[in-house]
Amino acid sequence: MKKKVVSLLLVAAMVASMGCGSSNNGGTSNAGTSDAGTNSGADAATTESNEGGDAAATDTASDVEKPEEISIMVDGTVFTKENAQDEFIAKLEELTGIKFTVTQPDHDAYYDVVGQTIASGEWPDVMILSSTYYAGYAEQGVLWDMTEAYENSELKQRQDAFGSTGVIDGVRIDGKLYGMPSARGNGCVTYVKKAWLDNCGLEAPTNYEEYLAMLEAFTTGDPDGDSTNGNTYGVSAAGFIGTEAPYTNYLPEFYQDAHPSFYLAEDGTWKDGFTEDAMKEALQRMADAYAKGVIDPTTLTNGTKDCRDKYYGDEFGVFTYWAGTWQTNLETNLEANGKDSELVALAPIAEVGQYLDRVPPVWAITSQCENPEGVFKYFIEAMQDGGDVQFLFTYGVEDVHWSTKAETIFEGEENEKVYADGEFHGCENLETPGTQYTKAHIDPMLALVELANDPKDESLPESTKNSAALFNENCVAADLVPTTDAMSEYNGDLTTLKNELVANVVMGKSTIEEAYARYESEHGAEWSQAIVDSLNQ
Amino acid sequence: MKNNKKQSAAPSANNSRKHLAAKIYKYRGFYLMFLPVFVFAVIFFYLPMIGIRYAFTDYNGIKDPTFTGLANFEKMFSMPNFWSAFFNTLQISIIRLFLTVAVAVIVSIFLNEIANIHFKKVVQTIIYLPHFMSWVVTASVFSLILAPTSQGLVNSFLVQLGVVSADNMIYFLGDNKWWRFAFYLIGIWKETGWQTVIFMATLSGINTELYEAASIDGAGRWGKMRYITFPALANTILTVLILNLAKVMNLFESAFVLQNDAVLGTANVLETYIYYQTFNSGAIPNYGYTTAVGLFKSAIGCVLVLFCNWLSKKVREGRGIV
Amino acid sequence: MKSKKKIQVFPIVNGLIFIIISLIIIVPLWKVLVDSFDLKTAYGMKLWPEEFGFTGYVTVLTNQTLYQPLIISFITTICGTIVALILSTFGAYVLIQYDMPGRNFFANMLLFTMIFNGGMIPTYLVLKSLHLTNTLWVVILFPALNVYNLVLMRNFFEGIPASLFESATLDGCSPMQTFIKIVLPMSKAALASIGLMFAVAYWNDYTHYKLYITNSDLYNFQMKLRGMIMGSDSPAVTAGVTENTIKNAAIIVVILPFMILYPFLQKYFVKGVNIGAVKE
Repeated sequence: MKKKVVSLLLVAAMVASMGCGSSNNGGTSNAGTSDAGTNSGADAATTESNEGGDAAATDTASDVEKPEEISIMVDGTVFTKENAQDEFIAKLEELTGIKFTVTQPDHDAYYDVVGQTIASGEWPDVMILSSTYYAGYAEQGVLWDMTEAYENSELKQRQDAFGSTGVIDGVRIDGKLYGMPSARGNGCVTYVKKAWLDNCGLEAPTNYEEYLAMLEAFTTGDPDGDSTNGNTYGVSAAGFIGTEAPYTNYLPEFYQDAHPSFYLAEDGTWKDGFTEDAMKEALQRMADAYAKGVIDPTTLTNGTKDCRDKYYGDEFGVFTYWAGTWQTNLETNLEANGKDSELVALAPIAEVGQYLDRVPPVWAITSQCENPEGVFKYFIEAMQDGGDVQFLFTYGVEDVHWSTKAETIFEGEENEKVYADGEFHGCENLETPGTQYTKAHIDPMLALVELANDPKDESLPESTKNSAALFNENCVAADLVPTTDAMSEYNGDLTTLKNELVANVVMGKSTIEEAYARYESEHGAEWSQAIVDSLNQ
Repeated sequence: MKNNKKQSAAPSANNSRKHLAAKIYKYRGFYLMFLPVFVFAVIFFYLPMIGIRYAFTDYNGIKDPTFTGLANFEKMFSMPNFWSAFFNTLQISIIRLFLTVAVAVIVSIFLNEIANIHFKKVVQTIIYLPHFMSWVVTASVFSLILAPTSQGLVNSFLVQLGVVSADNMIYFLGDNKWWRFAFYLIGIWKETGWQTVIFMATLSGINTELYEAASIDGAGRWGKMRYITFPALANTILTVLILNLAKVMNLFESAFVLQNDAVLGTANVLETYIYYQTFNSGAIPNYGYTTAVGLFKSAIGCVLVLFCNWLSKKVREGRGIV
Repeated sequence: MKSKKKIQVFPIVNGLIFIIISLIIIVPLWKVLVDSFDLKTAYGMKLWPEEFGFTGYVTVLTNQTLYQPLIISFITTICGTIVALILSTFGAYVLIQYDMPGRNFFANMLLFTMIFNGGMIPTYLVLKSLHLTNTLWVVILFPALNVYNLVLMRNFFEGIPASLFESATLDGCSPMQTFIKIVLPMSKAALASIGLMFAVAYWNDYTHYKLYITNSDLYNFQMKLRGMIMGSDSPAVTAGVTENTIKNAAIIVVILPFMILYPFLQKYFVKGVNIGAVKE
């Protein structure tokens, strides 16, 4: 027994000594990290940027030094190695005269690796960040404030000229800009199967009443023409509420003007829309529709892939999904399955008004970057120069990702495509044969700056262009919600609670009154208020 | 083997030190053999353990951690859903552990009785395959099989049997009453075959003379299974159970992919709870907080293991689990 | 007479039960298998492919970007399993020396690592400071010490009769000689089963890759196929018509090596090792 105790103590002592011994090392290395983090963080960054701004203002931008080398950390939205990243970067280096070091973690673990890298203290000069991480890291002083540099830049003029001011304003945090989107965020539009409308003798709906009537016709009738009534559903989605902002984008016709989460009201204050009447009405609409059976009964457990597969199999008729490329994807897959493939991209019904454009990911410069003005001018600006570099970021490398040579691709298959000499087209995808490249990093339909000699008219399928155009005409930018301490403290639990209540109400397990009573009693209202207060400070 | 007793009679201290030195010398070869294991343990496990101190700080991986004492633990314990997630974890995880091990043991014993070697190999290979399906794929296949529609195989079957009516099918994965049941079954489906690998290997170590002797004594098939096969497994069963108890709080992926908004009351376990808390918050995760949760889970695992160790010593003549 | 009849009934019932169990196990797998041969995409269960074709497998197997990851998978699985087996057997062998001074300290030290860990970021920082990140060493060495498997191995070693060790010591064998002459030959089933567990873990590993390797030239097969299996939900991806077929084919392909390997290992699990033969 004594022996056991002694050995346990030894283990404990060892752990302790490990802890102390290395905590010294850890301490010093962390001090290093924090030096970098705090010194060149918030405070230093602002002074630096002021200097940069002054310089730019007084002396024109010509004396901004061109960086020799830039390290970038990118996710899977930039070509991977299998998709000829090396050629892409070589071309970029040729065009810019800058050497690039690329770190591209696995797409799934991107933000884990970003977090580890930030913690290790060796930050890249530039990283791609989603809206959440962008807001969080900006608040923590990781990102360089590019407001000054941007305001005096030609990039701003180009973007304003193209009508992209709103998108840029959408990523400002308290008026400051810490990252630059390379394209709009995109969002979802509602697709309806044309043949189903025809079979039921309906027109595309323009208001909720017509929309609901269409769902009922699709559910009880025989829209797919297989002579069986009632073996189809009106609409399906992956869950009743989205997992990320804007939460309503898969079922917009039901949510209409409801905000399940925080939004910036017209009076300029932040509000939580969950307890507003608009949200309760939305819940009522969904509960009624679910009870009627027009919403796929397995919506709760569907993944997006399940929805797509069901859509291809003609199990339901109305699907709200990404605008642009996805209309073509859905149609191609329907056709391959031997179904009628024509889809109508609905203009938002009267009650919806506008589809929501997500907050786009941004390219941000870290505050450890030695020459942020240079990186901004010679890289971030260049990416949207309306010319060669933007073309590279939009379509990739000639004869690797796109070509104008006469060629036939997908040989020997039914869907072979023949291109004449001089006809612009995407090359066959290197990683997934059987598909073509349609874009590089910037989606041509979502660009923020006009691209000279843009071949998008001939390179993109009609359906892609149409659905993207429809979306662009009918969308409003979603709000970038800043992060606050109260938010990181409570919002996780709050969102979980809200989602649970939504599912229960829609599936008829509780009434709206019961759900909101639970919301009160389980601290939902309290948390929500704390967050709203912190946002309005 | 004899290992307990002795070295209780204490002669002079000097003598026993000499004795110890002699013993260490005697075992010098073993120390050398343990060296690589020791080095690996230090590098890959003990060095990173400096990170445990973050549990007492506010740390987001950017600025220096600031010491906050027990604040992270206070926050954790004060969250209303923390305790429900905690008890869910204990229940789900331990029940699933016992169920899968029990099923695996029974299956192993009966597999052992199959005389036809080819049939045995085929069965063994089939039942071990589900282990290779990732949880994500498993979840998507089972949400189809268990769907409350005519496409759901299980519900269709139940309708045929007349157990449920066609317009009132059971939403196994979307109903608080059924979710755990479905979860256990899927766990059994996926891991039973894999667990039998270790039990079958143990069974292959049984001395065949034992069976022969038992036959001579007139023991039948059941008798041999009960008095030879099962006891031979006992040690392995115990080890597998106890080692897994150390990890019960880590339940994450299987629960995460199978749960949904409607069943969080019964399905939300500690790890998924923390996941939602961090990733739904719309903020950079507070690393100090997640470390505190990790430390709490370790403490629970530690208590469970110490308890089992104590139990194991009672059962196994003074020997702990390792 | 009675008992003889019983003996004849049992194998049949037992066999039938296992046929039923196997069928139940197969149903969900069947869905994946059918979909991997089906050129049409559909949500429900099918007994047979609607439009049979090998496109999925052809696409996966002729994809040249998968060849290097396949080689990396084989290298890391083989090297990793060897290192891991060396550590587990050495550790387990030491742990059965109940009389050895410090033995309990070592045991507790290992047990402790099973329960407590430093967390993601500190682990990364340690690996980075050792220059292990972005090398294959990290995926070979990091998972090699697995206390769970080490304790299972010790369990097997405990079953070796003490008399064998005693006679080896009397013959003047050093610990290492005893280990090679007695322990290893007596533990084929243990080596096969625990080796299999390690090999599967190495083959299926993607967590260590995605956290510690950012150079995709070093990715393994599983990591690459995962991309295909997970599919993509991003707003601007091009979904080919055979996306589903390829995905399911990828799931099957990644299982294949262990479907082939397992029956070969099973001979080590055959009932009954005659210990007496070794003893005498």
